[in-house]
Amino acid sequence: MDWKRFDRARRSVGPIELDLIESYAQGKISRRTFLHRGAIVGLSAPFLATILAACGSDEPGGQTDGQTGGGTPRKGGTIKVANQKPVSTDPVAMQDLPGYGIVAQCFEFLATLGPDGDIAPGLAESWEPNDDGSVWTFQLRQGVKWQDGSDFTSADVAATMDRLAEAGNSGLQGVLEKGGVDASDPAVAVFNLTGPNGNLPYLVSLYNAQTPITPVDYETGTTLQDSPNGTGPWILDQFDANTGCTFSRNPDYWGEAPLLDAQEMTFFDDPGTMITAIQGGQADAIVQFPAIAGAALLNDPNFTVLDVQAATHQQVWMRCDTGQFADPRVRQALAMTFDREGMVQTLFNGRGVIGNDHVIAPFFPYFDDSVPQRTKDDEGARQLLSAAGFADGLKATLQAVKFQEIPDFAALIQAGARAAGFELELAVEPVDTFYGTQWCPPKPADPPCSGAAELGIVNYGHRPTPDVYLNAALSTGGVWNSSQYSSSEFDAAFKGFQSSIGVEEQTVAAGQLETILNEDVPVGVAYFYNYLAGHSSKLTGVQVSALGQMYVDKAGFTE
Amino acid sequence: MTRYILRRVALSLVTLYLLATMVFIIVNVLPDDPGRRIAGPFAPQEIVDSLNERLGVNDPLLDQYARLLRNVVTFDFGESFKFGQPVKEVMLPALGRSAKLVVLGFVLTVPISIAAGIFAARRRNSFADRSVVTLGLASSSIPEFVSGVTLQFVIGVQLGWLPVLALAPSDAGLIGELRYLLLPALALVAVYFGYIARITRAGTIMALDSDYTRTAVMKGLSGRRVLTRHVMRNALQPTVAVIGTQIGYLFSGLIGLELIFNYPGLGSLLVNAASDKDFPLLTAGVILVGVIYMLTTLTADLIIAWMNPRSRLAGDRA
Repeated sequence: MDWKRFDRARRSVGPIELDLIESYAQGKISRRTFLHRGAIVGLSAPFLATILAACGSDEPGGQTDGQTGGGTPRKGGTIKVANQKPVSTDPVAMQDLPGYGIVAQCFEFLATLGPDGDIAPGLAESWEPNDDGSVWTFQLRQGVKWQDGSDFTSADVAATMDRLAEAGNSGLQGVLEKGGVDASDPAVAVFNLTGPNGNLPYLVSLYNAQTPITPVDYETGTTLQDSPNGTGPWILDQFDANTGCTFSRNPDYWGEAPLLDAQEMTFFDDPGTMITAIQGGQADAIVQFPAIAGAALLNDPNFTVLDVQAATHQQVWMRCDTGQFADPRVRQALAMTFDREGMVQTLFNGRGVIGNDHVIAPFFPYFDDSVPQRTKDDEGARQLLSAAGFADGLKATLQAVKFQEIPDFAALIQAGARAAGFELELAVEPVDTFYGTQWCPPKPADPPCSGAAELGIVNYGHRPTPDVYLNAALSTGGVWNSSQYSSSEFDAAFKGFQSSIGVEEQTVAAGQLETILNEDVPVGVAYFYNYLAGHSSKLTGVQVSALGQMYVDKAGFTE
Repeated sequence: MTRYILRRVALSLVTLYLLATMVFIIVNVLPDDPGRRIAGPFAPQEIVDSLNERLGVNDPLLDQYARLLRNVVTFDFGESFKFGQPVKEVMLPALGRSAKLVVLGFVLTVPISIAAGIFAARRRNSFADRSVVTLGLASSSIPEFVSGVTLQFVIGVQLGWLPVLALAPSDAGLIGELRYLLLPALALVAVYFGYIARITRAGTIMALDSDYTRTAVMKGLSGRRVLTRHVMRNALQPTVAVIGTQIGYLFSGLIGLELIFNYPGLGSLLVNAASDKDFPLLTAGVILVGVIYMLTTLTADLIIAWMNPRSRLAGDRA
């Protein structure tokens, strides 16, 4: 340990950063967690390197999940990207991963995707919290222009955040209110939060996919194709909701210009056809594919797999307010029928980890592993069902979306639950119709999502912190709360988690959340699976976020 | 002949009117809030209300019905709920794509199938006849999406001879487009070859056994002349009728092939419009498919009437 360097570095930071540095120095958190948390609280890469060196670790940077290297890319060429058909490209209202991936080509976030899969400075060059994390100051990048030639300023940030606050954004609801961003200095955006929050940079990053910064006069309900005026590396040239879209390089991009001339994104209804397109050479890259259907790609020497450990998961929501699942014993019983290990093997060839009916993934630094793991127990499930008044079994319809492995997951649940007395009928719908009918239909609007089906499966993309899951899907009145779960105990624990700053404090708060959710089971979470994407091995520099966003601005063909 | 055509056109218009009325009833049975669907789940209620007002969904049903009939006449169905674009702009490209696939499929299928049917009929009960019948039966028993996947994998992926997706890039040109469409078109050939060949064979056998063929032969006409002037003219009438109805069906019935080859044609557009409750698009699509059916069957009837004056005269007398 180089105490002199270490001490000099720790004197220059605030209490939140100091807590993190000391946790690492004392061996309470891993090197990876230190880098991950350091990015959140806005510590620069050189500063992090100084601390690592002072503590005796001088290994090169973090892991390279989700991106490819190797080969020298040449300039020019057009990449053909296969993506599932988007439902919406309205940055404020979109809820589907394909839509996220399209919008992120033109619009940028305050914090973007770093080379290690974590967040990195985007439209904000740096950020720092006040002492308790209730005020965050973002220094904005200068010289950035919208594609119409106007300057990007803090007024754009404030207007974007106002629109998100008004719409009840899944991550910012209860965190930031309308008018909460001070834009008096055009180069600085000051976020005045409703309370302390240690994860705010994530909530304004690509991992809260609805938060790309749009121009000050952008109107809610406007789609990307209606007003393709972003700051990003790509310009939308053509968009057809049925077939696909094309982008060309933005010649005035503030950052390093893309190597490729253009990208052609083709939309597909069926993941199987996307895989065929790769095999037949008609697509160079695929934004996401399921492990089983894409088994041929996993072993293809001409294909590079981007295998990202992620918090991507499916939530089996059960209505807590009404119907057959209102009794928590029924929900526990269904969760007890999941053969979690078997599901991870069958659906992902082992590329995932089992879940425990809560949304804190085991690889989050604050995961509390002391909460007992729920295991398959048909007899126990039958007894719980019987105690809840369903001694003769229970009939229900399991709604599922035709997305990735979900139909197969639904079939496994159906088969596994039969022995315990559940007679589940499967109803699988395409992406186009599932959202907005079975899951979170617009009416009734109050409380949000109260028109959701009694039982269903919905997909959640990766987030490096669980705030969006906890806020939108599980908090009372959350915009995506399809189970209509309402627990004052949970809401208080979530507030505690949001306001806890250090990793130790967060682990305690996460443990409470895990326990409550595991007991109440508003959603069954059987697994967290690796996000699989990939591209032809003739390409290099492609990066994915595990949330439907594939970045090709640093990509190029090597042959 | 003119009277016959006028009668058929008038009958088609009555059918179109009935179709429009049925579509109106079906669409109005389904509950929905188009304004909310367009504005999105987070839009304020006043925007949703004003959209509904603009779309006329709050108007009396009779007014809406009259508007639909007007729309059918002008083929202007307003904006698609889902795409927010004029229905025509969404539908016509899909119609064009379906038309290309169907036409290519039939251009490949019809000559081969008719030739095979006549060939088999002239060699009745021979090995060649049995081969055509058996091959046709086998190929038409396999659904087009199964043969499509097989062709895609073998010819597209394994051999790399043809593109695996059917939609050509915008700069592909006519030859390029045909190349992209060849695999799904071959899947159509596989299905319809057997069907059309067998109908042609049966019609040809009947014609060959008929008195007028015997008379023609006994008059000393050459075999070729008997075949073209007497046999085919009569034998192909059922074939023409079948092709007429099948073309109409195929415009909206190739959902499986469209999915496999990622070809956004009319079939998948209509299925999605139905599940999205995109009523303007759905209504226009159903009417359009109805019009295509009428045009293709009318064309088939006219060809049959030209081939066989008896049917034309029967139509005139009816």
